[in-house]
Amino acid sequence: MPIYAPTLPPAPDLQLGQPPALVIMRFDFARLWRQKIGRFFGFAFLVMLLWKVARIYIDHLLQTNQSLKPMQEFAKTILTQGADFQADLLNPALYLLWFLVALVGGGLVARDTLYRVRPLMYAHPVAPKDYLLAKLGFASLLPFAILLPFALLPWLMSLLLAGAQGPVWVTAPLRLLPAMAISSVLMGSLAVGASSLAATPRAGIGWVLGLVLGLGTLASMIHGLTGIQSAQALNPIVLAEVWPQLLVGVQKPLLPWLPTILGTALHIGLWTLVAVRRTRPSEAVT
Amino acid sequence: MIAFENLEVRYAATAAPALKGLTLSLDRGIVGLLGPNGSGKSTLLKALLGLLTPSRGSGTVLGVALGTPESAKLRARIGYMPEYDALIEDASAYEQVAFWGELSGLAPEAARDRAHEVLYFVGLDESRYRPVSGYSTGMRQRVKLAQALVHSPELIFLDEPTNGLDPDGRRRMLDLVLRVHAELNTGVILASHLLGDVERVADQLVILDQGLIKAAGSMAGLRKALAKRVELRFLDPLDATQEAALVELGTVLEARNGLYDLELTGADPAGAFRWAQAMGATLVQVTPRHDRLDEVLLRALHGDAVRGSGLRPTPPGPPSPDQAEPVPDSPSTSDPSSLGER
Repeated sequence: MPIYAPTLPPAPDLQLGQPPALVIMRFDFARLWRQKIGRFFGFAFLVMLLWKVARIYIDHLLQTNQSLKPMQEFAKTILTQGADFQADLLNPALYLLWFLVALVGGGLVARDTLYRVRPLMYAHPVAPKDYLLAKLGFASLLPFAILLPFALLPWLMSLLLAGAQGPVWVTAPLRLLPAMAISSVLMGSLAVGASSLAATPRAGIGWVLGLVLGLGTLASMIHGLTGIQSAQALNPIVLAEVWPQLLVGVQKPLLPWLPTILGTALHIGLWTLVAVRRTRPSEAVT
Repeated sequence: MIAFENLEVRYAATAAPALKGLTLSLDRGIVGLLGPNGSGKSTLLKALLGLLTPSRGSGTVLGVALGTPESAKLRARIGYMPEYDALIEDASAYEQVAFWGELSGLAPEAARDRAHEVLYFVGLDESRYRPVSGYSTGMRQRVKLAQALVHSPELIFLDEPTNGLDPDGRRRMLDLVLRVHAELNTGVILASHLLGDVERVADQLVILDQGLIKAAGSMAGLRKALAKRVELRFLDPLDATQEAALVELGTVLEARNGLYDLELTGADPAGAFRWAQAMGATLVQVTPRHDRLDEVLLRALHGDAVRGSGLRPTPPGPPSPDQAEPVPDSPSTSDPSSLGER
């Protein structure tokens, strides 16, 4: 038998709340925090990060410890100050991130569709753009936040141990952070767009993986048949990888600037448009 | 509280209108929105919430015009309990009610405090930390009511709040609805196809069918009108003069084989005996006709609700250019029904 309150006092001021997009994003992060998925990916990303940092430290030991002098020449071949090494700081985390984005982002909109929560959100002072901004923000901030230590920790360690002479450029974060931001938005928009096409979170995961792997396969087939390297601009995995290469200035990036810009704009624009159309109130209430 | 004129809503530009030019105004109170499944109740609520944009006509809710930029802010003043589940299954009742409170404009800490209060109010105090996936139907309905109340709205829309509840659960839910109106002074629009629910809590009634308002009026007026309904049985059939004189007693609704169904003008059924004596007729039986609401509803849906029920019909709006056929059973009176006029 339920016990009822004698009465309900009036609610506090409604003007002190946070923007709806921020509220929804915070709720999604809290929901992710409760899920077990974070443990596996947390461990995997931590191992990768430790490996990156360990390489910097080993380089420091090679430079400063005379007993390790014979190994210095070998070390120079793998710990150069070259642009390739800077761009490679984000790998292979970028690849694993696609799976995390698929697993988490695939259910982002689809779960609201399944539980029919979205029409109820629109019955509150929430505009469709708030909803979309929250979902895109979450799906983009998550990979960005995971990539952040991969760009900053090796840089910080290199700077502390060897100053400007370290293997990581002093200016590396200035080049890697914009690349990470673009790649993260690319991942986020694709995940949200694909998730909006699905009716259940599992189907959403399938949509994201299917689109990422399918487009990659399609791009490789076109590349292989026609020999046009720019066809790889259809491949979101390549696009995410090529932005750090372009911004740090590697000699032979996977793609030149123009196809990369066009491909990225096409993906972000297309998947955002899909999400916009699939999360309209009229779509939600039918 | 709510007024709309010639309101038409379509789910798609080419689709037939789900609401066909409705005109009505409603005062603050508990309004029962009654009609069979698919009659347009939920569509009307969604249109009033701004979830669906009217394809024609205009309306105001709490003084704010529908379809304007201000109507988005209006939603902070309205609570909506949808017909469907709309619960975040992997979150507890406390988490999601706080979430909905924040979305309505409460600060995070205030929303958390408020979630405790409102869940206690609806009787979910002890189970508020459990994920709602393990809740019974009654508890789920109460979570939905709690999220509609968390920001102290001036008006709440309850769409089939007793769906799936057992008799005891229904009673408790309707008690809560009555409390919401009586204690919080919140206007309530209760959409239901369950006549008993509306009869129990509503003080105003709107009957919808096929996107049209078939009748609208106050429950008090309806009950009063029903109380005046009598069936007169005469020993011999009345002659033409006597039948014509029946109007002195009231409105004849139906006459068959010496039985006359009347809505009396006066409050005293005994006057019928005096009338019969004066007219030289032998009145053998006066039977009060306490029609149940379902009879009234059925009459309204078949287009003859007005005389017997005390409800007034509402005129349809002007037909859409693409509305090929006139609505066959639309009431023809030109006075817009305004519950607010009473």
